Amino acid sequence: MEDEELWDFDSESLSFEKDRHVLYLEMMYQLLPAPYQGQEINRLTLAYFVISGLDIFGALDRIDKEAVINWVLSLQAHPKNDRTFENGEAARLNGSHLASTYCALAILKTVGYDLSQIDSEVLLKSMKTLQQPNGCFMPIHTGGETDLRFVFCAAAICSMLKNWTGMDCEKAKEFIRNCQSYDGGFGLIPGAESHGGATYCAVASLKLMGFLGEDLLSEKASSNVINVPLLLDWSLQKQAFEDGGFRGRANKPTDTCYAFWVGGTLRILQADKFINEEALRGFLLTCQSKYGGFSKFPRLFPDIYHSYYGFCAFSMLREPGLNPLCVELGISAIAAIGL
Amino acid sequence: MKGEEERERIPIKERPEWADVRPVPQDDGPNPVVPIAYTDEFSETMDYFRAVYLADERSPRALHLTKEAILLNSGNYTVWQFRRRILDALNADLHEELQFLDQITRENAKNYQIWHHRRWLAEKLGEHVANKELEFTKEIFCKDPKNYHAWSHRQWVLQALGGWEGELAYCSELIKDDIFNNSAWNQRYFVVSKSPLLGGLEVMRDPEVAYAIEAILTKPENESPWRYLRGLHKNDGNSLANDPRVASVCLDVLAGKTDYVHALNMILDLLCHRHQPSKELKDAVDAVSPDPNLPDAGLAENVCSILKLVDPIRANYWEWRKSTVPAQD
Repeated sequence: MEDEELWDFDSESLSFEKDRHVLYLEMMYQLLPAPYQGQEINRLTLAYFVISGLDIFGALDRIDKEAVINWVLSLQAHPKNDRTFENGEAARLNGSHLASTYCALAILKTVGYDLSQIDSEVLLKSMKTLQQPNGCFMPIHTGGETDLRFVFCAAAICSMLKNWTGMDCEKAKEFIRNCQSYDGGFGLIPGAESHGGATYCAVASLKLMGFLGEDLLSEKASSNVINVPLLLDWSLQKQAFEDGGFRGRANKPTDTCYAFWVGGTLRILQADKFINEEALRGFLLTCQSKYGGFSKFPRLFPDIYHSYYGFCAFSMLREPGLNPLCVELGISAIAAIGL
Repeated sequence: MKGEEERERIPIKERPEWADVRPVPQDDGPNPVVPIAYTDEFSETMDYFRAVYLADERSPRALHLTKEAILLNSGNYTVWQFRRRILDALNADLHEELQFLDQITRENAKNYQIWHHRRWLAEKLGEHVANKELEFTKEIFCKDPKNYHAWSHRQWVLQALGGWEGELAYCSELIKDDIFNNSAWNQRYFVVSKSPLLGGLEVMRDPEVAYAIEAILTKPENESPWRYLRGLHKNDGNSLANDPRVASVCLDVLAGKTDYVHALNMILDLLCHRHQPSKELKDAVDAVSPDPNLPDAGLAENVCSILKLVDPIRANYWEWRKSTVPAQD
């Protein structure tokens, strides 16, 4: 009994429990528990979290890369439809989805598959038809909500395939600009409340498309694409003095994943030096689960989404033993280069 | 799952009305990656869904099956899309569909597919559901006044179907309930700038500045009204510097000697845009400075130094801001 109490106390550990996290990822790789069945349409996304997660830990030797490549490629839509990726078997019955395509390509790059072997032309041609007149993207040809998440997916897909014919970048840029709120952050659509996740999508997309110059913080740089000083102030204000974590919106609770969404935004702006890293680390460790992985708030069960972004956050905090990230692509730096 | 689903579920293979259908199992391939431990109920429902989907059977029983699938897996957009196809084919009663949607939205208020389906319905039903949609989102806000999906939907309804009349008052109500509700402040900005009934930002600026100032004085540590105030001036530093009420509220907050971080941030911005500080303002800054006798430092640099101490989590940022203060005349 006493031991258990001590164990619980110990689980609010002062250190990053690397081994526990790798074990957690390995378990998820083998089998996702039943509660994940409600997300099975997004199985490629779940796979991305696991595989990219293992890559961050330098633990890709735990997976069968051939099997992963074969599985991902098997989900590519058949020639007589479009050639973008579908989302797990359930959607083989349907068309392809931008988020799945992004995750599929990210996984392939992560395990070292040569993306030039993919028929980009057809994929990108199909993707272009998902772009709306206002520059935004629909995720799937049969219709769906259009917002910044899919602009990001499109930009990341073009970037990974090294081919920008899949989107009209100028239009996308305009849409992104229209999503910047009066307070400096970005909403998912014009008029929407500024939100950490949307902000990452906006800034990462602009970076990938080449619309963000170097040295954005310097006085001489006047980014006429977006209001950088305002974005900077908004982003930094999201670190809570109460617990050191990041929140996604003003006056909302802090949450593990925003350490990536907002922290990553700051990294792209080369302003991560303004983050109080010690305080952030302290907060994240309270969300570290004794089972491995991370939860959204302290003392909840971990889930793969918050775990992945917790790992990313620790990578950005330069935790020893973790590989660095290409923040704007959402994969490890080495995977991004394609070595 | 509630209501009719509360009765014990009869497996589909035991239901006579499904006897003619051969379920289609999931094909995961030989080496599935990240397999999921599906429950039997889930697997069976999806196996039968695949069957009707592949057969493109747009029948009442298929419609019912999509409901079962949705209740198990409300994020599956394939199922939702097929349901829409069936609703069209059967020329179904969309008001009834809206009622069904009301029910599951209450339990799954953060699901993108549900809200997308709702928009599809509302678009088809048109203007006469505007009020109902506004009422429904209000209902969601009673439980979660910051639900992002509901706010997006509400903004869409206003722009596509109308109903602006009571919106500014509704924002005031929400802010009165919780002055820290940033979603309500965002909505206020949306209304003030977009409502066809109000005349636009230029016209609304004066009364809204007064509103923001009142909120600031109530809770100076609240980020929302400060951002809103800046937004009213389109974040134009010169415009803010030329509005005497802005410097004035900063002064009032400083005089209270507490919760003045945002006020100092605003003063810093004003000074960086050539605002000429009054003696009162300089004195008020000195009054909260830990070391009022800092030699030679300009007011802006002083403000940064104070911020480093009272907002230490952002100390590096304030130090950098100090280094970027433009040379004072």
